[in-house]
Amino acid sequence: MTSWPRDEQFGTASSGKIGMWIFLVSDALSFAGLLLAYAILRGGAVLWRHPGEPPLGVNFTAGLTFLLICSSVTMVLGYASALDGRRREASVWLALTALGGVLFLCGQYQEYFGIWSPGLTREGLVLGGSAYASTFYVITSFHGAHVLSGVVFILVTLVRWLRGTATSAQVELLGLFWHFVDLIWILVFTFVYLLP
Amino acid sequence: MAHASRRLYLAIFVALAILTALEVGLIYLPGIARGPMIAALVGVAIVKASLVGLFFMHLRDETRALKLTVAVPLMTPGLYAVILVAEAGWRLLP
Repeated sequence: MTSWPRDEQFGTASSGKIGMWIFLVSDALSFAGLLLAYAILRGGAVLWRHPGEPPLGVNFTAGLTFLLICSSVTMVLGYASALDGRRREASVWLALTALGGVLFLCGQYQEYFGIWSPGLTREGLVLGGSAYASTFYVITSFHGAHVLSGVVFILVTLVRWLRGTATSAQVELLGLFWHFVDLIWILVFTFVYLLP
Repeated sequence: MAHASRRLYLAIFVALAILTALEVGLIYLPGIARGPMIAALVGVAIVKASLVGLFFMHLRDETRALKLTVAVPLMTPGLYAVILVAEAGWRLLP
């Protein structure tokens, strides 16, 4: 594990970790801006969901939420294994995390465009059609872009880990990003899908 | 830095799963007014997000300076949200 000289303010946190946290805070503010815009639009709307627009699938998305929570657990277990020097075990956990991300993206594709049943786009929820539709697509696709970036980040780190060029500290940075994606989805799920 | 054990990670996972089920169950419960329902859902979401941040992202184990670096900027949109809700409530007053 990479050792780092102890700082009076930030302890043993590496510059990489501090940088990742600052990036995540700035990214969180982007999501906060979108969610606040959503709240203002929804709060000021006389009619939020127009006739002909479908409701959002809460039960299906609850499953996706559970999937993302599972992938957060596999990520943190991967980091714990990496920290303990269990390289093979850490690789398996990271691969499972990437699989969770890919399944989440497939779920989002099903929700938008439909695979085994018609998606929201075919049911009448059209981007630009209403504030309800546009805020839904903008917020969830912005999050989806984060999931996609996270999956690529995991796969790159996994390859480097298998080659022996990645450290447990780098797996920790990856974990920070992935848990952030999960944390943001927890808020998006509540605000966009659950609030009455 | 001391990190949580695997057992604790799994306990957090179970808590997150139960809270998610609770959230979804809540919206199907009849007879709950909109205001308390929104307060409950937002409260549960904040608890879930905090669990992820504190335990999975290990913020609990970081120094006070790093915790403040993260928490203080995130209070700004929270404060703005409170102002928005207060302003909406003010407009609805007779």
